[in-house]
Amino acid sequence: MAKVQVLNVAVLDNPSPFGNPFQFEITFECMEDLPEDLEWKIIYVGSAESEEYDQTLDSVLVGPVPAGRHMFVFQADAPNTGLIPESDAVGVTVALITCTYNGQEFIRIGYYVNNEYTDPELRENPPIKPDYTQLQRNILASNPRVTRFHINWDGCSDKMEDSENVDPSPNSSSSSSMVPSSCLAGKALPVGLLSGNSMDCL
Amino acid sequence: MKLLKPSWVSHNGKPIFSVDIHPDGTKFATGGQGEDSGKVVIWNMAPVLREEDEKNVNIPKMLCQMDNHLACVNCVRWSNTGLYLASGGDDKLVMVWKRAAFIGPSTVFGSSSKLANVEQWRCVTILRNHTGDVMDVAWSPHDVWLASCSVDNTIVIWNARKFPEIVASLKGHTGLVKGLTWDPVGKYIASQADDHSLKVWRTMDWQQETNITKPFNECGGTTHVLRLSWSPDGQYLVSAHAMNNSGPTAQIIERDGWKTNMDFVGHRKAVTVVKFNPKIFKKKQRNGSSPKPSCPYCCCAVGSKDRSLSVWLTSLKRPLVVIHDLFDKSIMDISWTLNGLGILVCSMDGTVAYLNFSQDELGDPLNEDEKNAIHQNIYGKSLAITTEAQLSTTIIENPEMLKYQQERQRAEQANHRMTHEAQAHKLTSVVNGESLEDIRKNLLKKQVETRTADGRRRITPLCIAQLDTGPFSSSSLNGSNLLLTTSTKMEPMKALDSRFTERSKVMPGVTISMFNVCLESPFYLTGYVRVFSSNYKVGTFYQGHFLFLLSPTAHLQATPSSEKEPCCVVAIPVAVLKLPTPTPQKAFTLQVSTEPPVYLEVENDVSAVSGAKLSQLRCSREGREWDTLLPSRVITAAGSSDVVAVACEDRMLSVFSACGRRLLPAILLPAPMSALHCAGFYVMALTACATLSVWDVQKQSAVVKNESLQTILSGTECTVSQSLLTQQGVPVIGLSNGKSYCFNSSLETWNLIADKQDSLVQCADFKNCISSQDAPVSQGPLALTQGHNLNAGRLASRLSSTPHHLQHGMTLVFLENQLASALTLRSSTEYHYWLLIYARFLVTEGSDYRLRELCKDLLGPVHKSAGSAWEPTTLVGGLRKRDLLRELLPVIGQNLRFQRLFTEYQDQLELLGNK
Repeated sequence: MAKVQVLNVAVLDNPSPFGNPFQFEITFECMEDLPEDLEWKIIYVGSAESEEYDQTLDSVLVGPVPAGRHMFVFQADAPNTGLIPESDAVGVTVALITCTYNGQEFIRIGYYVNNEYTDPELRENPPIKPDYTQLQRNILASNPRVTRFHINWDGCSDKMEDSENVDPSPNSSSSSSMVPSSCLAGKALPVGLLSGNSMDCL
Repeated sequence: MKLLKPSWVSHNGKPIFSVDIHPDGTKFATGGQGEDSGKVVIWNMAPVLREEDEKNVNIPKMLCQMDNHLACVNCVRWSNTGLYLASGGDDKLVMVWKRAAFIGPSTVFGSSSKLANVEQWRCVTILRNHTGDVMDVAWSPHDVWLASCSVDNTIVIWNARKFPEIVASLKGHTGLVKGLTWDPVGKYIASQADDHSLKVWRTMDWQQETNITKPFNECGGTTHVLRLSWSPDGQYLVSAHAMNNSGPTAQIIERDGWKTNMDFVGHRKAVTVVKFNPKIFKKKQRNGSSPKPSCPYCCCAVGSKDRSLSVWLTSLKRPLVVIHDLFDKSIMDISWTLNGLGILVCSMDGTVAYLNFSQDELGDPLNEDEKNAIHQNIYGKSLAITTEAQLSTTIIENPEMLKYQQERQRAEQANHRMTHEAQAHKLTSVVNGESLEDIRKNLLKKQVETRTADGRRRITPLCIAQLDTGPFSSSSLNGSNLLLTTSTKMEPMKALDSRFTERSKVMPGVTISMFNVCLESPFYLTGYVRVFSSNYKVGTFYQGHFLFLLSPTAHLQATPSSEKEPCCVVAIPVAVLKLPTPTPQKAFTLQVSTEPPVYLEVENDVSAVSGAKLSQLRCSREGREWDTLLPSRVITAAGSSDVVAVACEDRMLSVFSACGRRLLPAILLPAPMSALHCAGFYVMALTACATLSVWDVQKQSAVVKNESLQTILSGTECTVSQSLLTQQGVPVIGLSNGKSYCFNSSLETWNLIADKQDSLVQCADFKNCISSQDAPVSQGPLALTQGHNLNAGRLASRLSSTPHHLQHGMTLVFLENQLASALTLRSSTEYHYWLLIYARFLVTEGSDYRLRELCKDLLGPVHKSAGSAWEPTTLVGGLRKRDLLRELLPVIGQNLRFQRLFTEYQDQLELLGNK
């Protein structure tokens, strides 16, 4: 049985302009204390035609995860428009949230995403080169597609002779390059007086 | 008799190997084969018992499903208290389950809205010892032990109060052990195996009492299980598969001399399971007949490979009832309801049957008193202690039992409190006083995000509900350094409760800083929140403190002395400064450093030998752990990557190295500790009498010695709102009026470094002087102390309409203040940052003299002279003045007006460089 169950994913800031960051509020429950972090990814499918245009918008480690119910907000920058085929910019595509533990994907949550112009004029006569500033992104939050995979939760412990429980194909190594570098590599100083809005001075 | 086969009780057609009814009769568990794993399912009993409940869609049928066993589950058994469920399977494991009470029903995300697990049962311990499939498990009377038997020919007795401790391993069988039963009196345990023997073992020394082989000699073939059973009066033991004259029987073995004279005959194939009714019965008094006392009797159900079930009364020669063709395959397990009138039977064919008897059929069950009277008669004592009243009158002869009884009483009290608290906390949507909605609104802002060493984002999730871990925390993950404080450590709730009431009496209405240890890092915060939520049982108490924790305010009470003369205006009122102190808690955990991750875990009042109470400090650092003991209760602790400091109730401060060595002799403080901080090798102590000390542990010297906060606090009504220690060992005290001071140890003065009301900040305009290349210094101590006010400065030009010359002056003063503050805080990066801005400002505004003096200052004397006090470095951070000057020169060169100054200093620097 999976040690981590995703209980809910709330799509925040939706619909929103195309350039806004994605925000998912994820609630999950963990049956036992996890010694390792969970890794969450948001993958934006640039084109339905080919996986080549998939962009990993961001990946985060989530931990430590003790037994219990937890929530966090996963925010990731909007996709790099330069990597989206122009013909696929407008219309329906897919955003995926995946979670891996020890490198094994155990859940994949897919959302349909509809990108369209809000301006009726543009909608009628879309420009040949997509105008991303005018596009609105609408994630069809009510209808997530959830796929769960059986994985080995105990790492390489001896009790797993039963190979049936190991997900045979957790190959998600294809995407790792497009992590946005705009964030500051802020080092956490041990002197920490966080007044509520100290982040403002960034 | 009524019979029902609830079709909805199924493992999707897979065999069901075991069934057990919960002692409270509200649910039952089944164990068997799952899709690709073993499966344990907990079902609701109500739909089995009542047809209207079965039809009511609002009443859940399945309560919980556990797929954790890797292979087929052979046995499920509830503990006698009903708190635990033990399961054993082909994966060689025994798992013990407990209900996670604080988590409500959950839906499966992404599927239609039907409830998945109505109850959450969580594996609290995994017992690993068997080297083969576990066939049967059994809880001893009073749940003192848990026994498991396996195809590895052994029986393991586990200490059920201290899993996974093994009490004994019973070896002697030469075949697969397939059934276990405890003597209800607690003196024996019996096992039956494929080696054609039934063995009885003593619980006193775990040695074999007897070995019975005769009735099993003829046994051929094998059965999947051999579940034997002991009668509730303890007088008879009934075996599974035995043979008598080539016929399959269930052998009756008398306790008295282990005689094997009787058996239950009639099944056509091997008996797989025997189960005694937990009740002892007596004959139903019929109307009109004379109340003639009849001999009490027992009732026993026998299931067989021949797919039929027989129910026997020991008072009758023939079975009460035999039900044929109840199943398509062999019967695997039987369980009686505690009232003795219902019975659940499961089969290899994957179905379950329920039989309900009336009292007319079985007789009048004896009540507990009568049952105990029987025990009393037979054994001279009643070990089946069931009511509190009897507990007080019964003499307990076995020391083990005495220990158990005492523990049980304690547990019961704790339990009572727990359920009480749990009721108050039924809704888990409230976390420490904040509703889930509030949390969600600010989650993104509040959640702690850090970078790992390789630059990846790492989010610490907000724990919104805790799974209660139960008394056994000894799961395999115990070694990991997670921030969970198990409820065992929280045991003396009473102490905490009473402390609460005490406190509210002493200072009604005053917010008290429970923990005013400064937030060393954002991590620390979540650490606390988590400790709190695991404290949960005293949640009402903490609720009010949650917000408070987020912005810890140490309320300072300036109590004017009572002798103060009201007329005397000139006299300075003698204020007795008093800072609040943290209250010692039973246990707490905190993360003191993120790079490398260092966690501290404090557990107070760990009882040790001869009744002495010790406190334990445990530190885990990158997987390495050390611990140490302290004679007094720890009230607060702090640490950095280099040192760990703890302050105890006895006013002693102890400092340890990263590896747990004591670095300083225990320091006696003048008053109890109010706040304690560590940074680098510096330790800062703020005592309750408002004095401040800072020590350099590396140099073993005092940086600040017992400095009173009187200076910064006198004449104001304000309180200490924050305190911190910079990496350079500079203590900073923030007050509630928005002013922050640091203590300058070389000048021995308090310096103002930030003032939220400072009008200079609002008006200073240096926006033009900020180069885009400069990384904004948001993490330095100065920036953190001043907080968002800096932003105002940047926006000043847009907001203010002050005349230019005034604004120019204000900006200049502000920048110089910043420089001085950065210097006194010894924050080199911030000094560097502000120096560049200052220089740019001077250059653009054309302040010739100041600029020249600055350059001169940085360059220093060209020739070394003994009398010169000039030091090449300005700051502890290692910034060299001449390097700074070199950096400033291009800035100076930007304004043609200063070309002479530029050339002058460039030449001199070159000259010095050549030397």
